[in-house]
Amino acid sequence: MEKMGVPAIPMCTVAYKELSKLTAARDGMPHLREVFTPHPVGGKTPDELAAYIVNPDPASGIQIMKEIVDDLTRPLSADEMKSGVQSVAAGPATFGPDTADNLQELFMTNGMTDYMPIIIPTEEKVEAMLKGTSHSPDEVLRTPVQGVGYTSARWGFNVRQVAVNAVMAGCKPEYFPVVLAMASVGMLGLFGSTTSSASAIVVNGPIRDKLNMNYGLGALGPFAHSNATIGRTWTLMGKNLSNTGVLGDTYTGSQGNQLDYNNCCIAEDEKNSPWEPLHVQFGFKAEESVVSLFLGPDIRQGHGARGAGAEPAMFDQQISFMCQSTVGGSGALAILDPLVAQRLVAQGYDNKQKLAAYVYNNTKRKVKDFKESFLAPFHLYPLALQGREPYATWYKMPDDAEIPFFISEKQINFVVCGGQSNAFFQLANMNHLRSESIDKWM
Amino acid sequence: MLGLSPAVFLEARAAEAKKKTRSGNRSGSAEKIIAVSPKGTPPPIHLYSMAPRANSLDGKTIYLVDATHFDGSETLLLKIQAWFQQNMPQVKTVFRRKAGPYAADDPKLWSEIKANAYATVMAIGH
Repeated sequence: MEKMGVPAIPMCTVAYKELSKLTAARDGMPHLREVFTPHPVGGKTPDELAAYIVNPDPASGIQIMKEIVDDLTRPLSADEMKSGVQSVAAGPATFGPDTADNLQELFMTNGMTDYMPIIIPTEEKVEAMLKGTSHSPDEVLRTPVQGVGYTSARWGFNVRQVAVNAVMAGCKPEYFPVVLAMASVGMLGLFGSTTSSASAIVVNGPIRDKLNMNYGLGALGPFAHSNATIGRTWTLMGKNLSNTGVLGDTYTGSQGNQLDYNNCCIAEDEKNSPWEPLHVQFGFKAEESVVSLFLGPDIRQGHGARGAGAEPAMFDQQISFMCQSTVGGSGALAILDPLVAQRLVAQGYDNKQKLAAYVYNNTKRKVKDFKESFLAPFHLYPLALQGREPYATWYKMPDDAEIPFFISEKQINFVVCGGQSNAFFQLANMNHLRSESIDKWM
Repeated sequence: MLGLSPAVFLEARAAEAKKKTRSGNRSGSAEKIIAVSPKGTPPPIHLYSMAPRANSLDGKTIYLVDATHFDGSETLLLKIQAWFQQNMPQVKTVFRRKAGPYAADDPKLWSEIKANAYATVMAIGH
């Protein structure tokens, strides 16, 4: 509004003071007049909120209403009237010369790692990594743009900059096309929201065997170099290429998420799966290598499902039960051991679509529960007001009416991996973000 | 593997590690190397002048905008509206909810504010 010539006072709680000031600076108004209330506003009574505005702003010490009136009438200072372009640097192009131990420390203390040891990215190692692709090191994957996206300013990066992060994570050059395909999605690791949401990575196609990815026993654990390092790169790229990991600034996840260390890098066991692979569902050819990115709050074990000990095991019911406790709207990616998939086939699910349809039709909730669910008041209700379906219809229905938990069957996905040591599954409360061809980056 | 002492494996691993150290493990080495920065490229910042201020709010209209729909933000803005009505009745206030989820743009509302208001107070969270 200030850019349109209208004096504007943004108000938020003092917990977001730094983030708010940094965002204003990045958007071109470093001296924007902001007013802060005590934290939080949510959960306070009307009387408590009335008291907030006649008490001091905890950041400035000035009574909030007096501050608002003053900020809207005080003449602008010279700094507040400044315009023009200011270049920004991300820091030096190189570090050192120094010892490997000192550089390790420097990278860590400057927030460029995940606080686990890295491979120091020397020019020699970066050049070796670049040999893993036919693409030019200078090819731009993302152009820097001011004032867009979740973190306000969107940083840019090229193939060489991606290679530096792949080296740090410990990737071998033959893994590099997978990493480039991931980077080409545009949005990188470490989702800055207060929700501490995280990512999952699924790799399909012939490259899984070429890179010795583990899709058997312990598939989701620390048992394969390629799964471990490819997954780790996603977070390092977020921190370094997108600047998404600055605590209190571009990262505000209240509790953080352990998934961010490796991003649950999954290779699908296409041979032991009775169904078509995930990438084929998304329109790719079976012989193509593809990486798919998922985003959402968490992954939980299926042992907690109602009926988990019943015989015979009814995994369709167990998965549906687990879905009922997810954040509605955030999707589901069920990660099934081949034994579970085989049992589901025996139950009559000869393709993933049939199973998705069952889960969709058997995960219901009352309208009242939907209205009181996490995303509804601030995300879905505004969409309903704009007439967006199904929310507009759901908000018009009586509170005790039953509605589907998911928006569509397409929000429910399945991937098969595991060592068949037991019939277990895990449920990622995550939506499919995008899938990209790895072959394009060979 | 049953029946073999784990110590057998530990000894073998220790010998292997010793061999590796001799053959050039650089950790702790005094050799100096240069590391390449892993950082991406931030965009340049375009600075904008803020909007000029009037020296009084008398007769002015202020839009109070709930920009996020977060819990409590509407109530807070309505309390601000009540404060103006009681303490500065010469100021007209209009409450509006921004359309769409918190990150969505609402150009229609921005145009309405530009056309009708002197200023706006926006609750952006939390």
